[in-house]
Amino acid sequence: MYATLTGVSFLVLFAVVFLSTTRFMRHQIDDSVANEIEEIFANSPDRSFDALRAAVDGLARHPSGFLYLLQDSRGAPRAGNLPPVDAKQGVREWRAASGQSHSAFSAVRGRGVTVDGGYLFVGWSTHQLLEMEEMIIESFAWGLAASIALALVGGLVMGGRLMQRIETISITSRSILGEDLRQRLPVTQTGDELDHLTGSINTMLDRIEGLMTGLRQVTTDIAHDLRTPLTRLRQRLELATRPDAAIEAVRATLGSSVTEVDTILNIFGALLRIAQIEGRTRRAAFLPVGLSDLMSTTAELYRSMADDNSQTLIETIEPSLMVKGERELLMQLFANLIENALRHSPRGSTVRVIAARFEDRVRVSIVDNGRGIPREERSKVLQRFYRLEASRTTVGNGLGLSLANAIAELHDTTLELSDADPGLCASVSFEASHHHEFE
Amino acid sequence: MARNGRDGLHRALSEPWDLLIVDRMLPELDGLSLVQEVRHRSITTPVLFLTTLSGVDDRVTGLNAGADDYLVKPFSFAELLARVAALGRRLPTLAVETTLAVADLEVNLVERTVTRGGVHVELLPREFQLLVYLMKHADQTVTRAMLLENVWDVHFDPNTSVVETHISRLRGKIDRGQSTPLIHTLRGVGYTLRA
Repeated sequence: MYATLTGVSFLVLFAVVFLSTTRFMRHQIDDSVANEIEEIFANSPDRSFDALRAAVDGLARHPSGFLYLLQDSRGAPRAGNLPPVDAKQGVREWRAASGQSHSAFSAVRGRGVTVDGGYLFVGWSTHQLLEMEEMIIESFAWGLAASIALALVGGLVMGGRLMQRIETISITSRSILGEDLRQRLPVTQTGDELDHLTGSINTMLDRIEGLMTGLRQVTTDIAHDLRTPLTRLRQRLELATRPDAAIEAVRATLGSSVTEVDTILNIFGALLRIAQIEGRTRRAAFLPVGLSDLMSTTAELYRSMADDNSQTLIETIEPSLMVKGERELLMQLFANLIENALRHSPRGSTVRVIAARFEDRVRVSIVDNGRGIPREERSKVLQRFYRLEASRTTVGNGLGLSLANAIAELHDTTLELSDADPGLCASVSFEASHHHEFE
Repeated sequence: MARNGRDGLHRALSEPWDLLIVDRMLPELDGLSLVQEVRHRSITTPVLFLTTLSGVDDRVTGLNAGADDYLVKPFSFAELLARVAALGRRLPTLAVETTLAVADLEVNLVERTVTRGGVHVELLPREFQLLVYLMKHADQTVTRAMLLENVWDVHFDPNTSVVETHISRLRGKIDRGQSTPLIHTLRGVGYTLRA
């Protein structure tokens, strides 16, 4: 296909060059011939046959390249250096048959004029012009052949290489999916479209691997972390089945068992919510949310918890902050962060809830001055069920931050954990929404 | 009780009921379509959805279909009872109420003032909202979840004593020094306001 394209473009080029060059040259000849005829007429003011004859004779004697012919009405040549021709008017050109191609007047172009008593013709040899035509054709023919050949060869080579690379990608992908998900496709350094494609496939493989690892981890974590409360539940219930158990004790056990089951149900509920949120498409039907009110209400929910622990909850919330999102999920997100801060800080500590505009974004930070989270563990705490060693015994199921993280990601932003020195600063920033958007 | 959606719809349409309790996932005709059809026929009977679907979208969809309340499984029986009572009691009043009164407690919704025995009581905004809700459901049991949903617009349980604390403060302002306490705690169930 490339060969055809190359060929066609070559032909077009050839045609243009050929035509314009030869036309130019013919034009040149026509111009000089016309001038010469003018001269002849100028030198013979009465344009009588004899005057013309004298003029032509004089000119023909000095070879200048022009070819002259003056013939009488019977077609007999009377002056000039050309054999007689039929008396045709206007611009004309002739070429002899190949046998006589080398004589001076076998290829001529010029102009003929009927004059008083005969016919005058002035012309110029077209030998050079014809030679040049031949040469152009020949060189173009060679060029065409060469370029078609190159195109064919090049096409085969490149096409072959392309096919080979595509084949490699196919085979490697299949083997990756079949055996080892950690492998990736090789990327050449050319940066061409195929490399982009390979890059994309590798990114997809990263994601698949991540999801599968996550899945494995979650299943292991769930099994691990749910066994504890279930075991506890079983032990309690078993005690209550003893024949010597008093009815009051049995009733108490049933009560606490319900509580324990509720705890387990909560864990499952939270897991489901995390999975649900992680599986959602982003920004499906996000509405404007009055963030200031939301933060105030959320902080209010935890004031009693803070008071119970002699902790101080301080709100610094700018008014009229608006973002786009899902109100309930955002409330859950900040509730988790506040609860986390309160639970993992000692008595007497302070938790700050800050919401403010920051450039064209809205930033919410929950800052505590408790133990904080060491840098290495900050990304891990976002995983399900992850608990810091120091927190193993505090209340909580280790899902709060996971859920908060999932909600942040659904809102196209991230949960950032940083050092509050001492303590932890958990913050999320959103694109600020503007009032006039929903009027 | 009907065991599938089609029977349920048939029965819902053929007899007048005080309340419809509909499971969202029903065989043959799902709960959502059932409620939509009932509403389509201009039947205004209160509807309570029961469901395992707890997402925000699910609740909004359910309420948009025409339900009045939405309860996620598992729930305690007390919770169900309280909500059933709250829904069943709803009187179709066209007039907008401007005052609520129980015994000698009066609330003026327009002026946003509260008096007990003629004496003005100063309440914070949230306390006022809480009192109004309790009064609108006077003599009924109101659960913690109902309060969180309707007074705080919070649809999850923060596991804090925010409700208890506010009830406590409200009680301190409304009931202290009065001969008849109006705000009562029902252990393990919820609260109620009654003389």
